[in-house]
Amino acid sequence: MAFLAPLFLAGLVALAVPILVHLTHKERKDVVVFPSLMFLSRIPYQAVRRQRIRHWLLFALRCLALILLALAFARPFLNRASAATPVSGLGARELVILLDRSYSMAYGDRWTRAVDAAKRAIGGLGANDRASVVLFDGTASAATEPTADKAVLTTSLDRVRPSAGATRYEPAFKLAQRVLSESKLPRREVLLISDFQRVGWDGRDSPSVPSGTTINKVDLAEPKTSNIAVTGVDFRRDYAEDRERVAITARLVNRSAEAKTGHAVTLELNGRVLETKQVNLAANAAAQVEFTAAPLPAGTTRGVVRSADDALPRDNSFFFAISRGQALSVLVIDHREGGAPRSLYVERALGIGSQPNFRVTTKRLGVLTAADFVGRSLILFNDSDLPGGELGRRLVEYVQNGGGLLVAMGDRAAPRARPAYAEQLLPATADAPIDRSGDRGGTLGYIDRSHPIFELFSAPRSGDFSTPRFFRYRSVTPAPGDEQLARFDDGHIALLERKVGRGRVLVWTSSFDGIWNDLPLQPVFLPVAHQLAKYAAAYADERPWSVVGQVANLPAIFRDSTGSGDAANKADYVVVAPSGERTRLDGAAKRSVELAEQGFYEMQRAGSRGEPRVVAVNVDLTESDLTAVEPELLAGAMVARAGADSASSGAEASTPMDLERRQGFWWYLLAAVLLLLVGETLLSNQLSRRIAVPR
Amino acid sequence: MSQHSLPGVQFLDPAVLARIGNLELVARSVVEGFLGGLHRSPHLGTSIDFAEHRQYMPGDDIRRVDWRLYGRVDRYYIKEYEADTNTNFNVLLDVSKSMSFGSGTATKLDYARTLAACLAYFSNQQRDRVGLVTFDDDVVEIVPPSAKHLPNVLHALARATPQRAGNIDRVFRKLSEQFRRRSMLLIISDFYEDPRKIMDAMAQLRGRGNDIMAMHVLDKAELEFPYDGATSFEDIETGERIPVIPEYLREQYRTMIRAHIAEIERFCGDQGVDYQLFDTSTPLDHALFAFLSRRQFLARVR
Repeated sequence: MAFLAPLFLAGLVALAVPILVHLTHKERKDVVVFPSLMFLSRIPYQAVRRQRIRHWLLFALRCLALILLALAFARPFLNRASAATPVSGLGARELVILLDRSYSMAYGDRWTRAVDAAKRAIGGLGANDRASVVLFDGTASAATEPTADKAVLTTSLDRVRPSAGATRYEPAFKLAQRVLSESKLPRREVLLISDFQRVGWDGRDSPSVPSGTTINKVDLAEPKTSNIAVTGVDFRRDYAEDRERVAITARLVNRSAEAKTGHAVTLELNGRVLETKQVNLAANAAAQVEFTAAPLPAGTTRGVVRSADDALPRDNSFFFAISRGQALSVLVIDHREGGAPRSLYVERALGIGSQPNFRVTTKRLGVLTAADFVGRSLILFNDSDLPGGELGRRLVEYVQNGGGLLVAMGDRAAPRARPAYAEQLLPATADAPIDRSGDRGGTLGYIDRSHPIFELFSAPRSGDFSTPRFFRYRSVTPAPGDEQLARFDDGHIALLERKVGRGRVLVWTSSFDGIWNDLPLQPVFLPVAHQLAKYAAAYADERPWSVVGQVANLPAIFRDSTGSGDAANKADYVVVAPSGERTRLDGAAKRSVELAEQGFYEMQRAGSRGEPRVVAVNVDLTESDLTAVEPELLAGAMVARAGADSASSGAEASTPMDLERRQGFWWYLLAAVLLLLVGETLLSNQLSRRIAVPR
Repeated sequence: MSQHSLPGVQFLDPAVLARIGNLELVARSVVEGFLGGLHRSPHLGTSIDFAEHRQYMPGDDIRRVDWRLYGRVDRYYIKEYEADTNTNFNVLLDVSKSMSFGSGTATKLDYARTLAACLAYFSNQQRDRVGLVTFDDDVVEIVPPSAKHLPNVLHALARATPQRAGNIDRVFRKLSEQFRRRSMLLIISDFYEDPRKIMDAMAQLRGRGNDIMAMHVLDKAELEFPYDGATSFEDIETGERIPVIPEYLREQYRTMIRAHIAEIERFCGDQGVDYQLFDTSTPLDHALFAFLSRRQFLARVR
């Protein structure tokens, strides 16, 4: 037996009223008018109050009436155990146990309580009832099919442990909806066992369970929780004499109302503890821990930042995988003739970058050798002719194998001197440049801001492209397949992209030297130069970690080492999960693997003996916020569409019939109160008539 | 002395008297059978009843010199006689709301106004000047003393209606300024006031040389507190209510009211005020006779 509105039990305090009435007042309705109370008022009231109860029966009637009234308002109803007991004539039951297995369920003893609650529900199944266990975190899966076999159901619970996933309620309800809609049994129930985290429900999910479904809830959330989580790391690399060092900064969040002092945080690289630091965390606040910079070894480095243990261990460790060589090597080729080099602006602009770090080398075309192309991410012909002969052939190979080529066409890039292979790399160019100096120069009239180069400038007030003046530029004729990324205000192409093999070629129809335009003098030049270089070099920021629930696309990971994309797609792979589980992906059918565990995944081409690719996986840190949502809100949203359904507070909810049947006690209680009050009236009148005033 | 020892005195029940509307008739009914000579005048005058000798003062009428005494003591003394008539007889009737209480048919005020009417009738029969003052927390009505004012007094008595709470102290202090001539003052009240205050107020009147008679009128319920059952008691004057369980308070109440009465009586004795408690359940004629007898006895003693 439990109560829907237990606060009304506070009405039992009203029991003091009849006691006081019997001990003190015992007044009749008629008031005795007396000439003066000067003597009566002098008699101490305490002497009046300390009286004995004379009419015990009347007193008992009044007290009992008040007790029953308070109980009726508290709305008593049968508890879950008794509700689960089969009631004759009500029919068999289809029970779906939704068991939250997100990693927040590992907090304290939540998981033990959750399993106990599920087993109690299974134990309460009647002979004709069926049940199924649905486990859910970010996804939902049925641990058992609907069955009446309690042993099967109980055994399925014994195998389950909290996962590394985050909570989402919608998939669980959808699965429950499917199970219940397929059931032929007359009674349908959902038992939701969860910590009811707010992050699992965005307020919009409204999966509707079939009409008439009872939603029972077991709320495992504690009123007061405490959790410290490592929410991320930042890397600051520096390069000194070809040695790369990385300084790691970890961010921690204290999600509790109490401050923590001297909290230990440890940095591990490749399994070795490098440094342990103490940090002070204010209540509900974040803090940063900066570790001493350490040299990065060759290959992939596996790093872990570990926070001291607390009630929720999953979010105490943060995994990452970083490797050396994140600097982009850029070869800037100036014109072969003498005169002042014109690459000053480009060199300076790229020299500023740190993410990535550009290593710029400038050479004259005349001294260029094929060896200069090796290891380059980007080759920039800055107002220079293209090399001919063998060097030209190596350049085409370089581009086809994924190298980036950026060509700026100034006054020295004479179209007539073009080698034959140039048509493969560059669009056709008119002899004479277009001179706009007469009308104070042209401007950029169109920019494709959806392109990765200009995406950075798509937000308002992020890059002013109206200021640069272009006095001269070359007119180019694009080939089919060329993509025009920017045009001048007169419609001529400013930037054109052509894909050659696996490489990218970008053609800038003006110069970067400040002679044909004043772009290098404008603030927008620096980010534009960086974006052009990164895009042409196909640079992608390294992802030091992934999050549980994401999918790793193996062909994309191994594309750079397998040569052509087709080879990567057709290769077989072996994936080793952090738990040691080994998975082989054969054929072209399955090319990706879901990252379901926290830690380091190792991925390798089948048969390869090289160093495996390492992917660090962390738990979804939104789950570390243990704030709970009102279970009634969640259940209310579930049944909102069903209309006739309802959800109750505490551990019970019912369909209207069930609800009425289980909560109907208050009617009987009120009827009893009425009878008692009638009896009280009769009795008190009878007692009153015995008393005459005055005697 | 038994209740009916006085020959010729009718037994008159207060309840019966209360039903008689004509106060003069009531007074006559009660008074008939009593002897004439209700009181002696506080003024000394010419009469046959010798009062005292006083040393001769220049200006005194030499005809009043007692020459016989001069012969004996060789000093001039004036003979003074007690005057038994032409006295001012003022009735001070409390008409506060507490006087409207009555557990039987007659209220305290009914009883009190009958008393006042009877005594006023007596006085008028002796050719005294009769007057009336009704009061509660202030003076309500004044009928100046006059030999011809008996009808006015009776009319004012019939008209008296309890309306406000009482305040004897304040009223008596005010009246003490008003009675310039020595009078007989008959105070009829339930005296719900601190006895010391009552006596202080009476002392003001007494200090002016007035002869005071105090008639304390109380209902039987006020004396015995016969109530039963938990009840709220409401003060008839203030409206204040207190919850009371009478059976647990009765003895304490009786003790307190007895102490109150005894204290008033003691103070009255000290001040030379004739005091009599009247229980409204007691027949009026008997109560009146008891009072007058006692007063005559005390007058002789004094």
